[in-house]
Amino acid sequence: MASDGTTIASGEWHPPGSSRSVPASLVERAGHLVVDGESGGELAGGNLHSIEISSRVGRIPRRVTFPDGSLFETADNDAVDRFLTGKGRASEGAIHRLERFHPRLIAFVAAAILLGALIYRSALPLLVEVAIAVTPPAVPQIMSASALETMDRTLLDKSKLDEAKRNRIVEGFRRVASQSARGEAGYTLHFRGGGALGPNAFALPDGTLILTDELVELAGEDTEMILGVLAHEIGHVAHKHSLRQIYRAAGITALLMLVAGDIGSGAEDMLVQGGGLLALSYSRSAEAEADRHSVELMMKAGFDPAAIARFFELLETKLDDKGGTSIFSTHPSTPERRKAILDWIGHERK
Amino acid sequence: MTMAESLPAQNAGERSFGRAAEGDIQRLSFTGSGSEYFGIWIVNILLTIITLGIYSAWAKVRRNRYFYGNTILLGRGFEYHASGGQILIGRLIVFAYLVLYNIMLTFVPLVGIGLGVLMLFFVPWLVARGLRFSARVTSYRNVRFDFVGGAGGAFLAFIIGPVLAALTLGILAPLASRWSYRYVGNNLRYGQKPFSTDPPLGRLYRTWVAPAAVLVLGMLIGGFFVFLGVALVNAVAEGAELSSQALQGFTGLLLVLGYLLLFAIFGLAALIYRAGVRNVAWSATSFDGRHRLLSDLSRLRYTWIAVSNLIVTLVTLGLMRPWAAVRMARYVNEHTGVRFEGDVGELLSQIAQEGSAVGAEFMDIEGFDFGF
Repeated sequence: MASDGTTIASGEWHPPGSSRSVPASLVERAGHLVVDGESGGELAGGNLHSIEISSRVGRIPRRVTFPDGSLFETADNDAVDRFLTGKGRASEGAIHRLERFHPRLIAFVAAAILLGALIYRSALPLLVEVAIAVTPPAVPQIMSASALETMDRTLLDKSKLDEAKRNRIVEGFRRVASQSARGEAGYTLHFRGGGALGPNAFALPDGTLILTDELVELAGEDTEMILGVLAHEIGHVAHKHSLRQIYRAAGITALLMLVAGDIGSGAEDMLVQGGGLLALSYSRSAEAEADRHSVELMMKAGFDPAAIARFFELLETKLDDKGGTSIFSTHPSTPERRKAILDWIGHERK
Repeated sequence: MTMAESLPAQNAGERSFGRAAEGDIQRLSFTGSGSEYFGIWIVNILLTIITLGIYSAWAKVRRNRYFYGNTILLGRGFEYHASGGQILIGRLIVFAYLVLYNIMLTFVPLVGIGLGVLMLFFVPWLVARGLRFSARVTSYRNVRFDFVGGAGGAFLAFIIGPVLAALTLGILAPLASRWSYRYVGNNLRYGQKPFSTDPPLGRLYRTWVAPAAVLVLGMLIGGFFVFLGVALVNAVAEGAELSSQALQGFTGLLLVLGYLLLFAIFGLAALIYRAGVRNVAWSATSFDGRHRLLSDLSRLRYTWIAVSNLIVTLVTLGLMRPWAAVRMARYVNEHTGVRFEGDVGELLSQIAQEGSAVGAEFMDIEGFDFGF
């Protein structure tokens, strides 16, 4: 029966929505694609444009879906490819042709590694800068205000410092802040009881600085040392470190989620853990940058630029005795930093 | 390729007594190969990078089509029908939410926590939708699967269960596993016919003993070594010969090692548990009330394959991942089967598509990722 027309491939045909199948063959006849049953007779058909032919993936069977919902399935992928090529639709198999096992794949591996490294080294920092540039100033302000409020409710207490001490610090702080790029008005200093945070100072992205009583106590009579720490925090704000770190962490996570593809759940877990370590190494370079900022500001304000180095020395002697390393664990080791600071002072004075 | 003829038909009419009534066990097989998948895998990665991640949705389609299509039961493969566009939209929504959540959690913790709680309420709904999506884009012999579970069941199975298991330090984990397998197994449909499952709690607890023992033993041994390390650090500190810097470094190393050990012990126990529970649950599942499913993974072998796969993948910087994925799929498939009752050929020619499952698929988005 199925004598006229050219047979493309043999396979099996399913009526619409049925698991029943009959042996059949795919035939091109009079400009139409039809399925002929074994005992003859057209089972389904339609013109080529109304028929959906699945794209090729490995050696899995090819599906040819007809307008009536019936399905022809064949393992003869090559025959279907030849037919499509004859119809000028060779481009549909482009992805499969790339995927075939071939020495070319070695080049693909190299390209993937190269591009991945390029994205990490160049595109990611660029994207972070773009994200920072388009972040309106209102955003860090709102974020900082609510972050301070949240911390006040949960972690921080009221400051118990006496007025005189506080005034001394504020006065020095104004002198330092007035030398910064954003000027004195760009920064506000808040005194708080550190609670669980202990001796600490930190900056919120809008220029709000928080100094804990415990740190002031730790510094004792050396107010300059506190100013050095505050200048360091100003450095974090000026370089937009917290925003940058958040965008960067988000970028790395997105990169892993999107680009890594199928690497297995175990390896994926490990990469995410490794991402945390990467973020940590980034925060070390941020600390060094803030240290240098502290040196420059203190110099301009006429204070001792080595004050922050004294602070690290103090940390080392006082905190190490208690074995406390937790608070500053994201910071580079203190002797290293002290040396870097002293080097920078020498460099600035030249 | 003539399916109807190659099916074993000798059991027709013998449904009353004896072995014949049980029918044959038909095992799944996996026909994919590592080298073939390697090409698909590396092209997926390369195109995903070049398109800045957009291709990843289509990459997933090709990967799933490859694995489903090479999963063979009775000479015919499964099919995966999702389109890249559907997956992309679902991913964009989830991605946007996660970005917002992380930003908020950092800068406005209260709002972030609010979003997290909101997500907790949305998760069951998303899980139910995701399972439905996964079922509906899967077909076998031209008939789609369907999933009819709702958000309530998902809440019990995927929120209450894991929380309960965690709070009781894993003692109630078998109960949680039972809930989740029942939720998935009892709501799955193929054609108009339902799957049903009821893994007995006793058997789940029997399979729970080994991983629990591994966990406890591992913690004891690991704890002992960490203790030893701490004692060593203290002894050295007493001697005070080492600088505090070196001491800090050593303590840090100890912490990292302890963390890795914990990761390894938990991973090991989880793998053993997963294989055991799969065996119990699948073997307690039937299709259409008569045809029983079967899973007989060796827990040791399964764990070995998973662990060695991870090591090989890491050592080769990911390049052997395609081989590892194919190796695992082959092992799992070969230890999964169906015990058909009666004439398989007759059965498989009678199942018809339920109309609703196909049309609605196009309105579905993937949301959360669930494969079967």
